[in-house]
Amino acid sequence: MTAIAETPRQAQETAAGEAEKRRRRVPYLLLAPGIIYLILLYVVPLISLVRMALQDGNLQAGYEFTWAWENFAEVFTTYRGQLLRSLLYSVGATVITLLIGYPLAYAIAFRTGRWKNLFLVLLLVPFLIPFLLRTLAWRTILADNGFVVTTLIDLGILPQQGGRLLATGWAVLAGLVYSFLPFMVLPIYVALEKTDRSMLEAAGDLYSNPVTAFWKVTWPLSLPGVISGTLLTLIPAAGDYINVQLLGNPQQTMMGNVIENKFLSVIDYPAAAAISITLMIAIVIAVVFYVRSVGSEDLVA
Amino acid sequence: MAIGNEPSQKPAVELDGVTKQFVDFSAVEDLTLSVDDGKFFALLGPSGCGKTTTLRMIGGFEEPTSGVIRLHGENVTGLKPYKRPVNTVFQSYALFPHLSIFENVAFGLRRSKVSDAEVKQRVGAVLELVQLVGRENRRPRQLSGGQQQRVALARALVNHPRVLLLDEPLGALDLKLRKEMQIELKRIQQEVGITFIHVTHDQEEAMTMADTIAVMNQGRIERMGAPTEIYEDPRTAFVSGFLGASNLMSGKVDGDRGAVALASGGVIQANPNRLPAVGAEVKVGVRPEKIQLFAPGDEDAPPNRLPGKVTDASFIGVSTHYLVDTPQAGEMTVVVQNLDDRRFALGEEVVMAWQPEHTFGVTG
Repeated sequence: MTAIAETPRQAQETAAGEAEKRRRRVPYLLLAPGIIYLILLYVVPLISLVRMALQDGNLQAGYEFTWAWENFAEVFTTYRGQLLRSLLYSVGATVITLLIGYPLAYAIAFRTGRWKNLFLVLLLVPFLIPFLLRTLAWRTILADNGFVVTTLIDLGILPQQGGRLLATGWAVLAGLVYSFLPFMVLPIYVALEKTDRSMLEAAGDLYSNPVTAFWKVTWPLSLPGVISGTLLTLIPAAGDYINVQLLGNPQQTMMGNVIENKFLSVIDYPAAAAISITLMIAIVIAVVFYVRSVGSEDLVA
Repeated sequence: MAIGNEPSQKPAVELDGVTKQFVDFSAVEDLTLSVDDGKFFALLGPSGCGKTTTLRMIGGFEEPTSGVIRLHGENVTGLKPYKRPVNTVFQSYALFPHLSIFENVAFGLRRSKVSDAEVKQRVGAVLELVQLVGRENRRPRQLSGGQQQRVALARALVNHPRVLLLDEPLGALDLKLRKEMQIELKRIQQEVGITFIHVTHDQEEAMTMADTIAVMNQGRIERMGAPTEIYEDPRTAFVSGFLGASNLMSGKVDGDRGAVALASGGVIQANPNRLPAVGAEVKVGVRPEKIQLFAPGDEDAPPNRLPGKVTDASFIGVSTHYLVDTPQAGEMTVVVQNLDDRRFALGEEVVMAWQPEHTFGVTG
């Protein structure tokens, strides 16, 4: 074949290559807005946060980057109590939310029939009221002379003298559970809702009574929802500071409160940054261990 | 491998006057049937005829509104599925996606507290039976449709049920695989000797596999019997049309020798045992492949003769399908095997002829 005869084909191939290249570029173009947004608003601030955490000095004299690792050491010495309390409250709230949320999600998915949508809307109605107002409402509900406290005193669950809920750890827990319940219920509901009913019939056909069928089939199939739900509860609960501020007292302060205080009141940016980063790493480690142990990568989507 | 139990004198499955009433319609009406142990029994019918509801009542997934269900003589009406000695192969297979193939198959054994060693041995044996050895550690979604179907079968069979219920198990497979699995299922049924109750809307599938077919329509059994028996003598217009194709002609029974006077003139001879009383209105039918075509005036033709004109001829390899327009019975279908080169052209005058014993009478 002569070189002249090949030229049109080569041109054709180049054109095809161009088209192919363009096609490969499309996904990146579609991702670009998201990536730019993330870089500007997450990656850059995160780097500056890390830089800040290693600075020394004060607001008046100015801060200086000195590899001040002692900022991190301080987290574990001065604020050990708050760190442990953050873990305790967030894990406690997550467990309680799961115990309340799973049956609720199960009931909505399997037992409400044609009222299903109504129940889902009811679950989301509280979101129409601002977070702060909802938490403030709990102050009224749990108030010392409110019906919850008086009933509990009458039942002998709270002591006659000085029995109260407000400004105790219980109030903080109650507030956290209330705030994050929908985040637990919705993913579990979605996981349960798409469970094939014939799967349960098959379990029954294979000699499982309803309880065994639940633990051997329904529960494992809903695990992806349980994992999402617990993470959506645990992570924000660990960093929450509103519930402590409105429902607790200084004895219940969590890491979130310390960070807020350092950033906004004391204006000790390096310490605040170091605490934030520590909390973040602690949560990431906890989540990795949790997801590993539940083994979600093995589950069906 | 004989998984089945000793052949029982009592029928494996008995339904006695079973009715299932849903809120706005009745799915099954006063159904009575009996299936002998070790048989392959097919419930055949169009969708909505009540065949799946019947199967689900045997399995315990639906409770009959009235009537009694017995398995090997034991009344199981009202028993929950997990307390019945039957297992089901579901239409969607319903394999557990979070478990390996081995654990899917072992599921029922684990619930029955069978020892680990026996679980291993029995699951191994049944996977061999369905030719899935080596796939134990896969997940259901890693298998093809046909393989998943066989896992569903193995998962049921491994429990040595006395009756196996199959709800359109081949419905999701493509045609070629379906044909293979029909033969495979029949082989497995003969090998294990368990009673199979098979629900299907595919008449060919039912005839290929079943010892006995019950044709259902609108919640009732229209006809029950061996495939050849109900094919040759369908008795109702519905069965004659659902099971294969039929040419039906209206007439009146004329005398007790099996003569039927067609409404449009002419007389057809039929087997008198397949006709109602003398003077009764009747439809007589003949299967397309039972009819032969002759040139007008051919003296070799069998006694039942109808003249007509060819309006369509399609050659499909093994046979040629003709449409013949007759003055007496309208358009009739004729299937002729391609044994010789004699073909009839469009518009050609022909005589359709068939034997009296191939004529059946239907009601309804």
